[in-house]
Amino acid sequence: MEVNLLLAVAIFLPALAAILCYLVRNSAFRSFTIVISAIALALTALGFADIIGKHDGKIEIYMENMPFDIGLLIGFLDFVLLAYIVYTGVKLKKPLVVVLAVLQAVPLFIFEIMHKSEEQFPVFVIDYLSLIMLFLVSVIGPIILVFAMGYMKNHESHMHLKTSKQPRFFMILFVFLASMNALVTVNNLLWMYFFWEITTLCSFLLISHDKNAEAVKNATRALWINLLGGIAFVAAIIIISNAAGTLSIQDISSPNAGLFSTELLLGLALLCFAGFTKSAQFPFQSWLLGAMVAPTPVSALLHSSTMVKAGVYLIVRTAPAFYGTTLGNVVAMVGGFTFVAAAAIAISQSNGKRVLAYSTISNLGLIICCAGIGSQIALGAAMLLIIFHAISKGLLFLCIGTIEQGIGSRDIEDMQGLMKLMPFTTIITVIGMISMLLPPFGVLITKWLALEASVGQPVVLIMIVFGSAFTVVFWSKWIGIILTMSYKPKYIVEKLSVSIRISLILLLAGVLAASLLIGPLFKNTIEHQLDSYWFMDESILTADRGGVWIHDIYNNTIGGVESILFFLIILAIMIMIPYLIHKTKPANVKPPYLCGSNTDDPRGIEFISPKDKIDSVVVHNYYMKGFFGEKNLTLITNLIATAFILIMFGVVTL
Amino acid sequence: MTNIENLIISIVAIVVAPILGGLLTGLDRKIAARMQNRIGPPILQPFYDVFKLLGKEGITVNQTQMAYVLGYLLFAISALIMLVLRQDLLMLIFILTFSNICLIMGAMSVRSPYGKIGAQREIIQMMAYEPVLILMIVGVYLTTGSFLISSIFKFESPLLFNLPLVFLAFLFVLTIKLRKSPFDFSTSHHAHQELIKGLTTEYSGPQLALIEITHWYDLVLLLGMISLFFAKPIWVGILIAFVSYFLEIVVDNISARMTWKWMLRVTWLIAVGAAMTNIISLYMKK
Repeated sequence: MEVNLLLAVAIFLPALAAILCYLVRNSAFRSFTIVISAIALALTALGFADIIGKHDGKIEIYMENMPFDIGLLIGFLDFVLLAYIVYTGVKLKKPLVVVLAVLQAVPLFIFEIMHKSEEQFPVFVIDYLSLIMLFLVSVIGPIILVFAMGYMKNHESHMHLKTSKQPRFFMILFVFLASMNALVTVNNLLWMYFFWEITTLCSFLLISHDKNAEAVKNATRALWINLLGGIAFVAAIIIISNAAGTLSIQDISSPNAGLFSTELLLGLALLCFAGFTKSAQFPFQSWLLGAMVAPTPVSALLHSSTMVKAGVYLIVRTAPAFYGTTLGNVVAMVGGFTFVAAAAIAISQSNGKRVLAYSTISNLGLIICCAGIGSQIALGAAMLLIIFHAISKGLLFLCIGTIEQGIGSRDIEDMQGLMKLMPFTTIITVIGMISMLLPPFGVLITKWLALEASVGQPVVLIMIVFGSAFTVVFWSKWIGIILTMSYKPKYIVEKLSVSIRISLILLLAGVLAASLLIGPLFKNTIEHQLDSYWFMDESILTADRGGVWIHDIYNNTIGGVESILFFLIILAIMIMIPYLIHKTKPANVKPPYLCGSNTDDPRGIEFISPKDKIDSVVVHNYYMKGFFGEKNLTLITNLIATAFILIMFGVVTL
Repeated sequence: MTNIENLIISIVAIVVAPILGGLLTGLDRKIAARMQNRIGPPILQPFYDVFKLLGKEGITVNQTQMAYVLGYLLFAISALIMLVLRQDLLMLIFILTFSNICLIMGAMSVRSPYGKIGAQREIIQMMAYEPVLILMIVGVYLTTGSFLISSIFKFESPLLFNLPLVFLAFLFVLTIKLRKSPFDFSTSHHAHQELIKGLTTEYSGPQLALIEITHWYDLVLLLGMISLFFAKPIWVGILIAFVSYFLEIVVDNISARMTWKWMLRVTWLIAVGAAMTNIISLYMKK
């Protein structure tokens, strides 16, 4: 019974908070609601972690003896939701949106009438994968909301609004969290569809929050692309119901379920397609790039723990069912291709938020690629990457939001010498970035696992190899710019609101803790989840001695690393920096060589050029637009990705 | 192996590697000079240089530079320790990447156009050679069934017989990694660099000395990786490593610097192509 209560809190508490935020239009009360819900949600997640261990890693919740049929209610709400989307489409004068919504509503209506299910299966199933997602949604989500308290205040004062739109804003954010919590625990595919569509609608409302022309345009694009995924979802429901005779996600995703039924495999392929749209895989990436127009907390939420993670969650959840099939191989290629293509385009971007967006798309591609490979190591890598990416990316978005409000620009080139203007934010940003690409942080460990898992598939392998090389390029260019120092910097103390400061520190602590504790993290959650699948693998993954290790069938270690040593080195260097700054004598700091005598300029970029003219040095990063520019690559990569998706449907239908 | 043994091996490696690296660098300069019809400096010249630099006043362009230099050195040493303790080869490459990133960050942290452009070029060089290094390790895995260096020593036949094309690709990217002509964009050993000293322009005194020592560690590490291709008996591998280094010196002296675009194209086409050909044939054989 305890479980039911926790689940009710996880889903209905954010819903209640949403209503409170909307009805009580008082900013102090709103802040109070946000902080209390944040704490309550985090405690709920901890409660789940505690209970799930006592239930052998799987909790099944049946809903009998309910006063009314919840399935019927959700079915009804499905149509309310679709009707609202149709209404939105009409209001925006976008026939495409209307058509796509109707294309979902009609088959769904016919299905609901024809479908008479007598079978009993658990309505909610919570296992370790759900637990991981619950943690991400219920811990990172609220932290972003806390950040949003401070951010939206500044944001609205920049916009000179007469009446605050914050009540509506926070309402939608809370609804988002509620539906995500439901989505990752629900076991009925039809119900999952409902929560899936809520996240689509919420993201539309959030992206269009500022109501300017660009915001509305991009939000509409996000809406119709995700409606495409919705259609695939409805089709998947109908096909899977026919093929497997059940809508229990637990049953259809059971290991090797797809080996024996081509029809079920088609249903799974459609679910993967829905996941691709939600996770903004090529060629659907444009909606996530457009979502950048929304206020930064929205981006942080969409990119880290919600929305895009719903897509990869669905694919990772169903991955055991198509492990070893051709479908799995093609899904791995779609993901791998997105990984390398997004990383390549990111090199050419100078807009910080776009770099982050491409990096998200790229990492989601890697998660999907691992899910497609589907072996034990690959699934372990996928789940680890879901965790690490969510925390690091959440942090980085909050950082760039803070930087943007601090310097008034999101262009990477404008961030030269940021260390001097915003030392606190800069250090956190740099650690966040390093955690995305360098050892011993978790994201790199997962990349290493992905490489070790993909050696059996040369095509996927070469994509991952190039993808990781590109990843290093765009991050290191950016870190270099941020760490640029004037030769005699004067430090100032930043003015940041408490909510921004606290949320940055919390997420930074999360980034460090997750990477340091990768061993226990893996051992206590993911390893149990992997054990519950039935695997015939050549190699297995375990956690020991503070790191993760790969063993072959004879239990010989064939790869692994102890990460603690390298953390110590990083720590030593980090302590070194303030010590050096303190110890360096001002007389020993000289201006850089500029091929002309330097002036007294404290930034050290002015020099005396011929005819005693004072010139200053301007150096930009290389963006290699001729190689990696969006113009060069977008069309061709979209075509290739479309081809991969067509191949995916080809292999399951032909 | 016990912990004590590991510790002793690590300490020996940390002490011996720079001595060996310094000597090789001295030889490099001597041989290069002879190729150019000069007498050249004494073999021990690199050590004289480093000791002199270490004794100089610690001038810096900003207060954080030293931290990057230390990162460059410490991670290079870590990578070497991973090699001598025969650990995961793929992780070793990532650690080596971190070391190199530290050098790049140091160059980018100053507002010097020469340092910055050198750093950008170094990033491009990394982008060029990293895929080949990773593919080399995949080749090792497909041959020995493990990512650990120890398994290479347990494997009955030399890797070279299974990975001839991967070996050639590795030699190719070695030129980039050692920053030798035709790939010495980021910083050059020869005094005709349009970027002054590129990547290392803004380092002087003890910092420059540490960078030089790190180069020696890198050199020994890379030659060590070459000798892995013939691990049984290891002296053949070491011999191959020295011959390869001599080849690098010859190439360095007979070629002119090219552009980075050319480098990317050629490396990805020829080196990655060769390595992939080798890997796909191994994969088919399985």
